[in-house]
Amino acid sequence: MQVIEHIEVGSGGAASILFDNIPQTYTDLYFVASIRTNRGQAIEGMILKPNSSATLPSVRYLLGTGSSVISDTVTSLGAGVANGASSTGSTFANTGVYIPNYTSSSAKSLSVDSVLENNATLGYQNLTAGLWNVTDAITSLLIVGETGGTIQASSSATLYGITAGSDGTTTVS
Amino acid sequence: MATPTYIALATTTLGATASSVTFSSIPATYRDLVLVVNGGNSGDVLCSFNADTGSNYTYVAANGQSAGAVSFSDTRTGAYMGYLTGTTGLGIMHIMDYSASDKHTTTLSRVASAADSLTGMAAARWANTNVVTSVAVTAATGSFNSGSTFSLFGIEA
Repeated sequence: MQVIEHIEVGSGGAASILFDNIPQTYTDLYFVASIRTNRGQAIEGMILKPNSSATLPSVRYLLGTGSSVISDTVTSLGAGVANGASSTGSTFANTGVYIPNYTSSSAKSLSVDSVLENNATLGYQNLTAGLWNVTDAITSLLIVGETGGTIQASSSATLYGITAGSDGTTTVS
Repeated sequence: MATPTYIALATTTLGATASSVTFSSIPATYRDLVLVVNGGNSGDVLCSFNADTGSNYTYVAANGQSAGAVSFSDTRTGAYMGYLTGTTGLGIMHIMDYSASDKHTTTLSRVASAADSLTGMAAARWANTNVVTSVAVTAATGSFNSGSTFSLFGIEA
């Protein structure tokens, strides 16, 4: 796993986080993010736009809220959840997204783990399965809030590339 | 340049359907293993270690699916990864402390089968303290589709 790019949101915030010009030399992608937005609620769903495409991944999520469990389908949550403005101050959600075979000419799967910490009963743990039904190789990843909330300063994201291969010892059959 | 953390051990892409894929001669030099499966069999996927296909693997799992949120547990003949859709399933299994000989091997898995509207997680245990030297990834029903990819990585402590 090697770092491709790290983005730190500065003062004033940002409308989105963009990993652009992703090298096509790895096998899989993995990014981690720590995000807070100014949406006037405790939580904001984060949308993932591969290649800034208007075609979003279709997702099925499993969500624990601290008092209930929900399973549903949406077009947000492809990039997990983020703390909103009414959540505990100085808290940022944690998200990991794995995308295998991102350069292939097949539809792209993605797996999302995301948790939101809040000093209250309401806390979110989210597990999401996504499918971007586009055969283009992924060359960029855009992350935006589902309500367009501004991503706050000190939010960050890191994109890693993972290369599959052989160590010369392990065999596969 | 930063030190790589996912060390590639072996990878394969199926040129035809197959009921299982086996990684062998796994070196005992890492702390954990990570198995990534992209593709599937439209069924459950089990991982057995060191050719042990006895009912020695217990697990608990939770899924988000069309029928709602469900949780279940059982004993199987391999560590339960989850349900993978035929061509676009994604399964990631972390095999913890596989090179240790003083504990049972435990696994944590995530599956993403959006085409079947399913997301899942599972924790499993192999009731054996032996060092893991092989991993057989098996389709509990049917066969893995041609084009499915299987990659094994080592993680250093």
